Amino acid sequence: MGEQSIKDRITFHESLETMEVDFSRMTFATKEEIDAFYDEVDRRLAVSKRRWYFLVNYVDCVINPEVWSQFAERGKKANVSHGLGTVRIGAAAETRDTIRKRARTERFRANLYENRDEALFALSEMRKRRQVAGTDADSAYLSVEGINLHFGGITALQNVGFGVQRGEIFSIIGPNGAGKTSMLNVISGFYRPTSGQIVFEGKDRTQLPTHAVARLGFARTFQNIALFRGMTTLDNVMTGRLLKMNSNFLLDALYWGPAKREEIKHREYVEEIIDFLEIQAIRKTPVGRLPYGLQKRVELGRALAMDPKVLLLDEPMAGMNLEEKEDMARFVLDVNEEWGTTMVLIEHDMGVVMDISTQVVVLDHGEKIAEGTPDEVRTDPVVIRAYLGEG
Amino acid sequence: MWDPVFFLETLIGGLLSGVMYSLVALGFVLIFKASGVFNFAQGAMVLFAALTFVLLLEVGGDFWDWTAWLSLGFAVVAGGLFLLDRYPSLIKSDVLTPRRLAVAAAAIAVILLPLLLDGGKNMWRGVFITMLIFLVLTVGVRQPRAAAAVLLGVALVSFFAGEINFWRSLALTLLVMIVLAMAIENVVLRPLVNQEPIILFMATIGLNFVIEGMAQGVWDADVHALDIGIEDVPFEIGGVYISQFDIFAAVTAGLLVAGLAVFFSRTRVGRALRAVADDHQAAMSVGIPLENIWAIVWAAAGIVALFAGMLWGSKLGVQFSLALLAFKALPVLILGGFTSVPGAIVGGLIVGAMEKVFEVFVGIPYLGGGTESWSPYMLAMVFLLFRPQGLFGEKIIERV
Amino acid sequence: MLYREAGQFKTSYAADQAIFPILQDRWVFWGFMIVAFVVPPLTGSQYFMGPILTQLLVFGLAALGLNLLTGYAGQISLGTGGFMAVGAYACYNFALRMPELPLFVDFILGGICAAFVGVLFGLPSLRIKGFYLAVATLAAQFFLTWIFDHVGWFTNYDPAGVASAPARTLLGSWATEAGPLSFLAPINILVTGPNASPETKYLVTLAMVVVLALLAKNLVRSSTGRAWMAIRDMDIAAEIIGIRPLRTKLLAFAVSSFYCGVAGALYVFTYLGNADTEAFDLVRSFQILFMVIIGGLGSILGSFLGAAFIVLLPVVLNITASTLGEGTLPSDTLSNLELIIFGGAIIFFLIVEPRGFARLWQIGKEKLRLWPFPH
Repeated sequence: MGEQSIKDRITFHESLETMEVDFSRMTFATKEEIDAFYDEVDRRLAVSKRRWYFLVNYVDCVINPEVWSQFAERGKKANVSHGLGTVRIGAAAETRDTIRKRARTERFRANLYENRDEALFALSEMRKRRQVAGTDADSAYLSVEGINLHFGGITALQNVGFGVQRGEIFSIIGPNGAGKTSMLNVISGFYRPTSGQIVFEGKDRTQLPTHAVARLGFARTFQNIALFRGMTTLDNVMTGRLLKMNSNFLLDALYWGPAKREEIKHREYVEEIIDFLEIQAIRKTPVGRLPYGLQKRVELGRALAMDPKVLLLDEPMAGMNLEEKEDMARFVLDVNEEWGTTMVLIEHDMGVVMDISTQVVVLDHGEKIAEGTPDEVRTDPVVIRAYLGEG
Repeated sequence: MWDPVFFLETLIGGLLSGVMYSLVALGFVLIFKASGVFNFAQGAMVLFAALTFVLLLEVGGDFWDWTAWLSLGFAVVAGGLFLLDRYPSLIKSDVLTPRRLAVAAAAIAVILLPLLLDGGKNMWRGVFITMLIFLVLTVGVRQPRAAAAVLLGVALVSFFAGEINFWRSLALTLLVMIVLAMAIENVVLRPLVNQEPIILFMATIGLNFVIEGMAQGVWDADVHALDIGIEDVPFEIGGVYISQFDIFAAVTAGLLVAGLAVFFSRTRVGRALRAVADDHQAAMSVGIPLENIWAIVWAAAGIVALFAGMLWGSKLGVQFSLALLAFKALPVLILGGFTSVPGAIVGGLIVGAMEKVFEVFVGIPYLGGGTESWSPYMLAMVFLLFRPQGLFGEKIIERV
Repeated sequence: MLYREAGQFKTSYAADQAIFPILQDRWVFWGFMIVAFVVPPLTGSQYFMGPILTQLLVFGLAALGLNLLTGYAGQISLGTGGFMAVGAYACYNFALRMPELPLFVDFILGGICAAFVGVLFGLPSLRIKGFYLAVATLAAQFFLTWIFDHVGWFTNYDPAGVASAPARTLLGSWATEAGPLSFLAPINILVTGPNASPETKYLVTLAMVVVLALLAKNLVRSSTGRAWMAIRDMDIAAEIIGIRPLRTKLLAFAVSSFYCGVAGALYVFTYLGNADTEAFDLVRSFQILFMVIIGGLGSILGSFLGAAFIVLLPVVLNITASTLGEGTLPSDTLSNLELIIFGGAIIFFLIVEPRGFARLWQIGKEKLRLWPFPH
């Protein structure tokens, strides 16, 4: 085992309600090694007699694929008995993939982060979410503050602000022309607001160009499908991986070595999404030939391939029949649950909105007229008036 | 060595030739506005119009010999088409459909006309003319009434015309341009409805070759002098010499633009045109006949081409290089915006003035001359970097 | 063996992502390669290898370059002739002033120079689209040919402004008997100049074109190609998934101009022998664009099919006309007729199959896949 004793690798941060487990530079080759470590973990947890957040450092940690299931089993056990939630740092690509795969089948959140800062931030967000119920724009994961948007003399949005918590399904509703899509365009960086601020993970990102916003972890789908019509389903979903690919065009041209390996690695990732969305059969069909409902699904796939932190959905169920709507709602919920992706959703179908969202904001004529849980919004007289008119 | 009078002369000369560029650009704008087609063949249409006009004038009496026959033939065919259109029941059998009749007539014409026309003297010219007639007939199958009207017009003009003079030649050329427009609409555009713009663009490049070949095949490739009766005597205002001809050209262009502006904004056809430009399918769904609108627009562009061809032809002589005027019009277009009639005028002025001044004061002294070939393009390119929608285009709000 | 993919199971993503995933396609490709490298030199016909095949290959390469830009990245360019000229004149100057360099390096360097110029003229593509961009690229066409006409250095102060390809060998002067790399001398064959054999010229061109075409094929099926196609199909959505539009477009301009530049260099060095800017005029740009459209936008194979059509059509017309109309047709009538038929053929083709030969090829393959049971 490593140069550090197991004891030193487990530290408790009382102030953060966090137990930090340091797997860095360790190698787990046999079941015995795993058990040795986790026995110590369990012992310490049992002594503490309370629940903790887990911060797990995977930097340069190697886990023998044969013992992965034992490893995961012990981890899960610890989590069930004493855990509040887990964030993971610096996992190598393979570890990362394995964790993701397990996260999907076992239904937990992968919460993989590049570095400690990110992880700590996420952790603090998780704690906040547990402590504070309700919304508080200052502490929100994504907060939109005082947005004004003008086109020439037309006012599309007027002083709109709200906060989105991490992991929630946040809906924007309102009558036609209320400025919902404009709002989504502002969030996705496609429109730059005339004034106001958008703060994401504590950083102001109002001035970033569209593609840089995507880099921060925003993905979206469009009201009128915006797929790349000349490309196949597979290629469309693969474009979602572009941000995660590092090869340059010279290597691409040779299609050799790292470029080829990378291509295949991402292909595997994309195939999982294709499986998840049940679109295997149309993998190599040009998307222009697909029916509407499937195109919507491919578009969702492309957004998911970006592995987004925030997924913006612009009327994902518009123009669908009941069955397709149910499918789509299931996908949205699954994504939210399995990846823990934060969702901002525009939808006209009130049934769906009320069923799946955790928070709802209502816009009318470019202004926010109500905000709250689905039940609060449903009974709000202002909202009813906006939808049904006076009297 | 700064000479303000010389500068002013250069500038005014440039501005006035700029107006003539606008005239060519105007043809592009018309077609792009109404159909979204970037008509690369506009230059060839200018050449074709000018050549037709000047050679009708030159051939004169000679022409008369066979126009008589031609008009008789046209009149018969036109009459037949009229009858067919009015009483489709004239032909009951399934064998003799109008289409087959037209094709049969065309086939006979192809065989007989060359011999008939020139008695074998210039057989190939006959062949080219026959190809033109064939085009007219294909139009006739789809739009018998319109084709018949045009044919009858040609027949009447040539039968009662007597000796060809300036005005009769003008009238005939106008008719030829209308026929050409209809032929283009039928043969090229209609099968390509709903294709990508680039495909239509390519088709017009093909068309460009065809028209160039036809223009020079029907007539010839020599340089023809064209006198439209305006003396090119410069007159003097305050020490600055200005070409009288250029002024005339500028006034003509101005009148054309004013006329087109009224046509676009005030008439029923103009409104239909704008609808078609916006969305082909939507326009068709409210019952606007796409084909007719296109034929009208192409005919209008053909008429603009005729004026441009006459003015430029009398300045440079009618020859192949007229077709290259298109390349002068392109930077004008991107400066002014593809869909803006006033943009074409202002763009033309800017390009004309800039290229003259740049050539005279920078190009010739420092760069070895010949800068006119690229300086307008460079100007347009740099300009677009700062204002992508052109001078008169509206700022585009992109929506998703 | 019937053309089938049924029964050819792929067990890895690597196999599924090979260039030719279907076995029969691989056979056809290799068979074709063997024929292309072996048969023409055996015929010994200078006309067949030069004006027909070499020209076809060179134009095919240029069309491929333009297809990368227009067919894959969706940016129309009318400046192809200008970029080819940059490649040609740059290559000429490298070959002239640095005889030590291997000739194929000259070609590559010519291409790289063209790539830089291409990036420069591609800058407006950030702000402007479609036909506006197409017209703006005419600036490249006119400006570049003007500069090569007016700056004597580019043609080594030739009084007629003609760049004549100097006699150069494949591996450069260092690899000759007297040079420091004399061990390479036996394979250091003469490629250009009046004494070079047509076989060598043809084979060198073919080798360059095959290598570059395969690289292009790889490029368009990898992440770079997908980014281009994303920009082409819907630039707004592309930006929203994080593609940087300017970088992607400029890369397309660079790579496209590189291919055009190499094609221009090959055109002068292995086909024309000497050239002035007329070889790269606007007509050339349009010709290349035609090849792309007729061959099929967004198809590597299509670029070469289109080139074959445009190169062979005048040949066929010429032969037909001279056998039919010998003596009866004056030459100017003939050239006008050729214009009309050429233009007419293009229009006809666009009407019949606007997506080009590549589409016909695809339809053919799909039919073949089902043959002899069409349902």
